[in-house]
Amino acid sequence: MPQLNINGQSYFSDSPPDTPLLWVIREELRLTGTKYGCGLGLCGSCTVHVNGQATRSCLVTVGDMEGALITTIEGLDPANAHPVQQAWIELQVPQCGYCQSGQIMQAAALLGRNPSPSDKEIVDGMNGNLCRCATYPRIVGAVKRAAQIKKEGTKNV
Amino acid sequence: MSDTTKLGVTRRDFLVRSAVLAGSGFLSIGLPGLAERDAEAAIGEGMPAFTPSIWFTITPDGKTTMHIVKAEMGQHIGTGLAQIIAEELEVKWDDVRLDTPLESVENFAIYGLAYTVNSGSVTTEFDRLSRAGAAGRIALTEAGAKLLGAKVGDCYAENSRVIDKGSGRSISYGEILQKTKIDRKFAYPDDFKRIPLKARADYKIIGQSVPALDIPSKTNGQAKYGMDVFLPNMAYAALVVPRTRYASKVQAVDESAAKQIPGFIKAVKIDDTMGKCTGWVCAVAETFPAAMKAAKALKLTVDPGPYGKLSLNDIMEEMSGLSEKTEESAAWVLEGDVEKAFTQSDKVLEMEYTSDMVCHATMEPINATVYQAPDGGWHVYTGTQSTSFARMTLAAYLAKVLNKKQEDLKVYVHQFIVGGGFGGKQDYDDILAAAYCSMQVGRPVKLIQTRETQFATSFPRTPTFHKLKAGVKDGKLVAMNHDIVCGWMGPRFFVGKKYGTDWLQLDSWDAKKQDIDQWSIGGSDHWYYVPNHRVRAWDSDRTTWAVQASALRTVSNSYNMFVVESFMDEVAHALGRDPLEFRLAMLNGKGGNRGIPNTGYPPGTGSDYYMDRLWISLPWPKDDSWIRYESATVGGALRLANCLRVAAGMAGWGAKNLPPNTGMGLAVSSAEERQSPTWVAGVAEVTVDPKTGKYRVNKLNIAMDMGICINPTNTKAQIMGAALWGTSQIMSERLTYKDGAIQQTNFHEYQPIRLAEVPEINVEIIQSGHHPSGVGEPASTVAAPAIANAIYNAVGVRVRHMPITPDAILEGLKYKKA
Repeated sequence: MPQLNINGQSYFSDSPPDTPLLWVIREELRLTGTKYGCGLGLCGSCTVHVNGQATRSCLVTVGDMEGALITTIEGLDPANAHPVQQAWIELQVPQCGYCQSGQIMQAAALLGRNPSPSDKEIVDGMNGNLCRCATYPRIVGAVKRAAQIKKEGTKNV
Repeated sequence: MSDTTKLGVTRRDFLVRSAVLAGSGFLSIGLPGLAERDAEAAIGEGMPAFTPSIWFTITPDGKTTMHIVKAEMGQHIGTGLAQIIAEELEVKWDDVRLDTPLESVENFAIYGLAYTVNSGSVTTEFDRLSRAGAAGRIALTEAGAKLLGAKVGDCYAENSRVIDKGSGRSISYGEILQKTKIDRKFAYPDDFKRIPLKARADYKIIGQSVPALDIPSKTNGQAKYGMDVFLPNMAYAALVVPRTRYASKVQAVDESAAKQIPGFIKAVKIDDTMGKCTGWVCAVAETFPAAMKAAKALKLTVDPGPYGKLSLNDIMEEMSGLSEKTEESAAWVLEGDVEKAFTQSDKVLEMEYTSDMVCHATMEPINATVYQAPDGGWHVYTGTQSTSFARMTLAAYLAKVLNKKQEDLKVYVHQFIVGGGFGGKQDYDDILAAAYCSMQVGRPVKLIQTRETQFATSFPRTPTFHKLKAGVKDGKLVAMNHDIVCGWMGPRFFVGKKYGTDWLQLDSWDAKKQDIDQWSIGGSDHWYYVPNHRVRAWDSDRTTWAVQASALRTVSNSYNMFVVESFMDEVAHALGRDPLEFRLAMLNGKGGNRGIPNTGYPPGTGSDYYMDRLWISLPWPKDDSWIRYESATVGGALRLANCLRVAAGMAGWGAKNLPPNTGMGLAVSSAEERQSPTWVAGVAEVTVDPKTGKYRVNKLNIAMDMGICINPTNTKAQIMGAALWGTSQIMSERLTYKDGAIQQTNFHEYQPIRLAEVPEINVEIIQSGHHPSGVGEPASTVAAPAIANAIYNAVGVRVRHMPITPDAILEGLKYKKA
C-alpha cells in the first residue's frame, strides 16, 4: 500500500503501485484541481510538483512516489496568495480554466529554479502546457508579473 | 409553457416581488411561473434559501445573486450578464454573486432553453436583462421612498441604496427588504417595454473590466468541472475505442481477459438504437484506471457498418462530383444575374478551395456522471453547452430504452464549469452511455472519455469543397459565384422541414424553397457589394453521418471566411489592385449590405427575431410578444469597412518596411450569422522560410466593433484567444479519416497551437455604441485568411486548402520556379 506525502499530509493509497499518480490524486484522494488531459504527458494539465520539480502526474506511478514530497494546486496556496496565483488573477489569465492548475504549477516550478526568466526561458519552460482557449499571451505576462511580485515580496522581508 | 397555464397565471405580468422567508424578505424578479409555487412551497417547508425566479434575487443581507443559465466555458459569461443587470439595478458590484439553476422540466418553464452557442448570449440577453434590472431598481426606489417618507420623484438609487436627494437620507436595499413587502407589477410586454433605460454615457459597471467572478476558483484548484463529482457507491466507465466513427455494430463482447483485472465489474454494450453511441461498449469498474485497463482488454466482434471502408479521399471525390450536379444545388444567395454578368465580363477567374476536418479537442475530455435516485429521478452531473438539450435527449433515450412515456420520467441536469466548449459540448452520447451503464450496474456511474476515445468519437467540422468564380469588368468585381459542398450538420440535430423544425432553417432563394442548413453555409453571404452574387449549396449527407459533422467555433464561417477572403485577395491581385483599397470600395453598404438583415425575417424589423427564437433564455415562444431591440446588423458593411481601416492602420499596411520573405495579409469577417454579425478585421504579418516552407506568424492586428463592450479585459481575452484559435487551424490542426474511423488519437498527432508559435497580438476594441454583439468567436475567422494572404504576399504562393502545410508552400514555390 503506497504511502504518499501530498501538500504536507500523509495518505495511504489503495491503488496498485503501477497506477498513475494522477488518478490516485484525483479520484482516490479527491484533490480534483489536478486535471486529466491526455494521459501521455503531452498537455501538462496534470502537472504537480514532486520534490519541487514540475512533473506530469499521468506519467509517474504511485509506487514511485514513496518518500517524495508532492504538491498539488490545492497545496500551492488555498487563499490564492502565491505570487503566481496573484499574477494569474491580476492579469485575468484563465478562461475555461481546465489547464490552468497545470500552467500555474509549471510556472511556479519555473520561477523556483529561475527567479527572473527571459521571454525565451518562459516559452521554453511553458511550451509543454497546452491551453485550448489560447490564454498564452497572458500566461507569458503573468509569469513575468509573478517574478516581479516574488522579488517585491523578498525585498519587503 | 403548460405549467404556467395549469397555475392559472399568464405571462402578461412581470413581477417584482418580495416575500417573507424564515423571518426575512427577499426580492425576486421575473415573469410569473413556477417560481411562485416554489416560493410558497419553500416557505412552507421552512427552507433557508432557494432559487426563486429568473434573473436575480436580492436577500436582506444586501447580497444579490444573479441566476445564470448560460454555460460558463471560459467566456466569463456570468460576470458579463451580471454586469448588465447590476448596471440598471444600481447594485453594489461587490455584493454580486452568481449561481446556476438546476435544469429540470419545472425550471425549463421558468428559465427557458439553457443553450450557449453562436456567441449569442450578450446579444440576445442584453435588452431584457437591462430592463429586468431597471424594473428591480424602480420597485426598490418606490419602496425605499415610502420608508424614507420621501417622494419617489426625489429619490434615486445608487450602490444598493435608495437616496432622498432633498434630505440626503438613504436606506439600503437590504434594509428595505427587511422592513417591507414589495409587490410591483409591470405588464408584459407593454409596461416592460416602456421602462426607461440609462443613457449609455451614464454606464458605471458596463464597460468596466471588473474581474471575472469565476477566475479565483480557477487558480487554486477549487473550480468544479463535471469530472470532479463524486457520488456514494459510484463506479467508473471507460469507453472502448469504437471500430468506426459511426454506425458500426457490436456483435459480441469477450470479457475473459478483462475479468482478470481487479476491480472490473462488467462490460456494458450500450443500447444504440436511437442512433447515438453507435458501436459503444464500456468497461465498468471500481476505479477509473481499472476501467481503462479493462476497456483495452475487452475483445469485440464488430460489423463495421456502412462506412467501414470509407475514407477522406472518397468523401472529397464525392463532394467534387456533387458540385457538377447543378440541378441538385440550393441557392443561398441570389442577387442579380450571375451567368449573364459572366458572359459580359472582361475576365473570369475560377478557383477550387478545400478544407480539412478539425475538432474541438477541449482540454476537458467529455465526461458525465449519472445516477437514478431512490425516488426514480435521473440525475446528470456534467458540464455541457445545453443542460436543456441534455435533459431532453436523455429523457427521450430513457423512454425508448425503458419503454416508458417521456412525461413519466424525471430528469435533472446539474451544470458544472465547462472545461472548454467551442461547439463540442452539445452532443450527449456520453450522458446516455453513463445512464445506460448506471442502469446495468445499479449504481451511479462516472464515464470519462480518455483522450483517445474522445478523438475517436469527436464531432468534427465537416470537410468542405468549394468552387469560386469571379467576373471582372472595368477593373471591378461584378459577378461572383460560390459553390459549397459539405456535410450539413442540421439533419444530425433534427433540424429542417422533415423534422417539423422548419423555423430553425432558412429556405433557398430559388423556386425550390428547400431547406438550407445555414450553419454549414453561412459566411459565404458576405457584406461586399457585388451586384451579381450567387451562392449554391449541396448537402453531402453521407459525409454528415459518416464523420458526424458538427459545429465548431464560428461554425461554417471558419472555412467560408478562409475561402471568401483568400479569393477576394486573388481577385484584387488579378486586377492589380491593392487588397485594402479593393475591399474598402466594395464595403460600401449598398443594397442588402446597408444593415437590414436580408434573410430570415422581413426587412425593417428591429431585433434579431430569428436569433431570439433560437437562443434566448426564455421558454420557446408561442406568440409574437418579443420586445424588439436594435439589430446587430445596423450600420452594415460600413462598420466592417471601419474595422478594416483601423486594423490596416495598426499594422502599417502599405507603409511598413518588411524584411525579406515577409508579407502582410488582410481579412474581414462578420461572423457569426448574417443576422448576428460582429464586425472584425485582421491583418497578419508572416515570414516564410523558402527552403523549408515553414512559416512564422509574427504579428496579428485585430480590430473589432461589437457595439458596446461589456468588459474590455475579458473581451480582449476572447479576441486574442479566438485569433489564436484561427491561427492554430490554419497552421497545424487536421483530422483525417480512414476506413470509417478518425485517425488521430492524442496531442502528438493532433496539434493545437502552443506557446512557442504565438505571435504578438494587438487588439483594438471599437465601441460604436450599437447594440452589443458577441465576442467569443468572430476573431477566429479572420486569422486564417489573413495568414494565407500574408503567405502569398511574402513568397507569392497561394494555397487554396486549409490548413496550410509547409509542404504545400514548398510545392507552390517549386511550381512558381517552373
